Amino acid sequence: MSALAARLGERLGLARWRALPIARRRQILAPVLLSIGLAFPFVTSNAGNVDAAANAYTYVLLALGLNIVVGFAGLLDLGYAAFFAIGAYGYGIAASGQLKPEWSSLWAPLEWAGQVSRLAVPGQSEIVQFHFSFWPMLAISAIICAIFGMLFGAPTLRLRGDYLAIVTLGFGEIVPVVARNWEGLTNGAQGLGGIRTPKLFGFDFGFSPYPYYFLGLGLVAVAVWISIRLQESRLGRAWMAIREDELAAGAMGVNHVHYKLLAFAMGAAVGGLGGTFYVAKLTTATPDMFTFPVSVMVLVMVVLGGLGSIRGVVLAALFLAFLQSVILQELTEYVHALGRLVGNDFLQRVELITSLELIFGLILVVMMIFRREGLWPAVRRVSALTLEQQSVAPARGAAVELSWARAAPGAVGPGRPLLEIESLRKSFGGVTAADDITLTVHAGELVSVIGPNGSGKTTLFNLITGLIAPDDGSIRFEGVEIGGRPSHEIVARGVARTFQNIRLFNNLSVLENLLVGEHTRLQAGVLGAIFRPPWVRAEEERAVKSALEVVEIFGNRLRPRLDHPAYGLSYANRRRTEIGRAIMTRPKLLLLDEPAAGMNPAETLELMDLIRAVRGFGVTVVLIEHKLDVVMDISDRVVVLDHGVKIAEGAPAQVRGDERVIEAYLGRRRRAA
Amino acid sequence: MSTLDVLLQQVVNGLALGMMYALLALGFTMVYGIIELINFAHFSVFMTGTFVGLVVLSLMGVTATSKSLTGLALVGVLIALFLVTMAITGLLGVLIERVCLRSLRNVSGTAPMITTIGVAFILINAMLLIFGPQAQRFPQLLPNWRWELGGAEVTFKQLVLFVVGLLLMIALSHVVRRTTLGKAMRATAQDADAARMMGIDVDRVIVLTFFLGSALAGAGSLFFGLYYGFTGYYIGYTTGLRAFTSAVLGGIGSIPGAVLGGLFIGLTQSLGGQLLGVKWTDVIIFSILIVVMVFRPSGLLGARTPQKA
Repeated sequence: MSALAARLGERLGLARWRALPIARRRQILAPVLLSIGLAFPFVTSNAGNVDAAANAYTYVLLALGLNIVVGFAGLLDLGYAAFFAIGAYGYGIAASGQLKPEWSSLWAPLEWAGQVSRLAVPGQSEIVQFHFSFWPMLAISAIICAIFGMLFGAPTLRLRGDYLAIVTLGFGEIVPVVARNWEGLTNGAQGLGGIRTPKLFGFDFGFSPYPYYFLGLGLVAVAVWISIRLQESRLGRAWMAIREDELAAGAMGVNHVHYKLLAFAMGAAVGGLGGTFYVAKLTTATPDMFTFPVSVMVLVMVVLGGLGSIRGVVLAALFLAFLQSVILQELTEYVHALGRLVGNDFLQRVELITSLELIFGLILVVMMIFRREGLWPAVRRVSALTLEQQSVAPARGAAVELSWARAAPGAVGPGRPLLEIESLRKSFGGVTAADDITLTVHAGELVSVIGPNGSGKTTLFNLITGLIAPDDGSIRFEGVEIGGRPSHEIVARGVARTFQNIRLFNNLSVLENLLVGEHTRLQAGVLGAIFRPPWVRAEEERAVKSALEVVEIFGNRLRPRLDHPAYGLSYANRRRTEIGRAIMTRPKLLLLDEPAAGMNPAETLELMDLIRAVRGFGVTVVLIEHKLDVVMDISDRVVVLDHGVKIAEGAPAQVRGDERVIEAYLGRRRRAA
Repeated sequence: MSTLDVLLQQVVNGLALGMMYALLALGFTMVYGIIELINFAHFSVFMTGTFVGLVVLSLMGVTATSKSLTGLALVGVLIALFLVTMAITGLLGVLIERVCLRSLRNVSGTAPMITTIGVAFILINAMLLIFGPQAQRFPQLLPNWRWELGGAEVTFKQLVLFVVGLLLMIALSHVVRRTTLGKAMRATAQDADAARMMGIDVDRVIVLTFFLGSALAGAGSLFFGLYYGFTGYYIGYTTGLRAFTSAVLGGIGSIPGAVLGGLFIGLTQSLGGQLLGVKWTDVIIFSILIVVMVFRPSGLLGARTPQKA
């Protein structure tokens, strides 16, 4: 009975805990977890446990680093151990007697800084003895690894999925082979020995596990902090947007080359920290410490905890390290005892630790088949909507204001040409999707593009937004040529779009989807994201405020669902989120690709109000639509495409009666001779 | 031997090795062609095949200390060895597909590939548990006959590898080009949904593809055992990655490409080892892998872009 009551109380406590805001929960959790970590060596009496825990922190570091690459940015790196190796050898070479260059005056500043010393060899010229200090090397190794991360990542930029993984695997194979064969630098297969241990204010870390334990704990705390800060910043959103849909991310202004390289660099840098720490503790480095199974082990940790889930990854890494160093050893003793009991020879001899990789393999298979999101995934709990929240109260557009709308008038005044397309051509193989299209859209206009299926409407949008490059012709926006420019640049100039087959970032919340739209308006870089100075805080607040304003356009359609993941939204709400995301980029020109497709009549009317409201903000709209009643009702001008050729252009009524338009839709009428 | 003779010798060695890589690459390429999956488990099916071969041989009374065979006994043992080993590895491939991969068939992204890495680890460590960490001697049942060819030497072993490899490839080519199953395979590779609507049992085609690919890997594993005279739980990874490079180089999804790529990688290994030193062989091969992936992902013979959109 009392047990039941205790469980009930726990339940209540848990509910109250979950009701706390995230920031408050962190304020409570961080000191609690840190004190547990700090108390651990004093609680356990066994130095072996402290040593095992210090090693476990290395794995946690590696797993957190890989989580940035695989979990946040979605780039499966199968050669991650390479960065572990580079970090390890970086410090190993700098803090051992491996390199012995001849003395020259160039070394003098380092000698003065106490990082190298002159060694007199009888009968020969003086040589340099390296003994770089651990602390600056920690940073230097991280930077070296970041550079290698970008070097190894650069070739993979055009690849995705399996192919990207294989190229990273190739690099992961090459690095240990080079470490084995470049004997002058790495001492070959024997590896580096006698690596100096860190010193802090005259205290030598030596070979006791305790100082390393606290250092490891500190490094893990820093890595967790950096991971959280990155994930909840403009950078993290950009990474996750690329992970969810690279193309849509580009169309929202995310430069995928930049952000992928950044992910590789950040992930590699954390791996380098792990390598430096590990080697300083072990005082040796050999090439076989960094082979494919190590990469897979780190991947297992990330997969088990949940891709992108910081808490999950940390716990999984700790658990697997614990499994390796404690559980399997203890279990082996029990199995041996069982073997003696039943007289089974095999059971008496078996060493379960050799089955570690077997367990890794099982974890990978079982997780992939049954629980791909990991044991403790990153998604938040979503509260159910109340009846009031569920009942529709659509805003009819007009009442809403955006604080930025019309505040900054475009370079082009109303009625002047905003978008000028001239003799635009694009063909795919034998199909000409755009054949000599010339079209001008004036500021403040609402132009509809119609035409039968396959007439090149979406191709036109893709050309304008930079998803494909034109073969010939020019596209000028505000007088500037944008044809063939990358899409993230074009968004930044003020052209936003939606997609015919909605492309949301499915595992991000509605709010996060909207905030990705704000990407080009924000400035925060790596340091800004990590340290979050007041100006970054302010711009994030502005971004959220702006998103809340945009949400108001849709009445209460999206407002109660801000923290819901996009994959769970209804079809119409997905459309609305996508339009909202495009509005977030503060476009001067908004391209809507069949926004009313799949909407019922009431929703279509609501959408038309919305489009009028957007125009009211001073945004020029180009619309592709098949519902002709919508087109005829709201357009200023209609452009008709057929087989990539512009066959008609004019006021709605005029186009409706055009002979060629009727022909294009209904076929040629047989003419009386 | 003159330098030229040494090079000629390495060409002969390389071509024999290349047959093994080609057989392995065929399995990769067939599976990729059908379900666009890079199958890491293929490495370890190959490795498992060498142990299956060991067991089959010992059941037939041939052990590492036996003398080499000649005449009808040799032909009989070889035929039985290849048939049984290939059947068992083929079934292993089917088992992997049914148990681990079928439920992930429609999952996009890298989940199926990660699963195959898991399967590879399971098989490798199962073999480690059963046969132990030491390298096992593989019976040398082929007699040590040699012939002069120009300035080089061709061994009977190499000849057998070459002939058996060629026979298997001709058989595969016949299956793919001339049979109903082959037609179904090609149709599924083009468009699985359309094939299904045309009444093709896509599941059965995929299972049979795994069977054929894994059976060829079994043949490849016997090549390894007969050629090198040893096996161990660790042999699959490096050999498998080289074979995978062959498949990519030839154009993944392309069957003639896999054969061409296999021969090329075999030659690269033997000639590269001769010219630059054996320890750099893998750096050369993996550099080829990276360069092809990055600059010509469709490979030498692959026509269509192999990437998933």
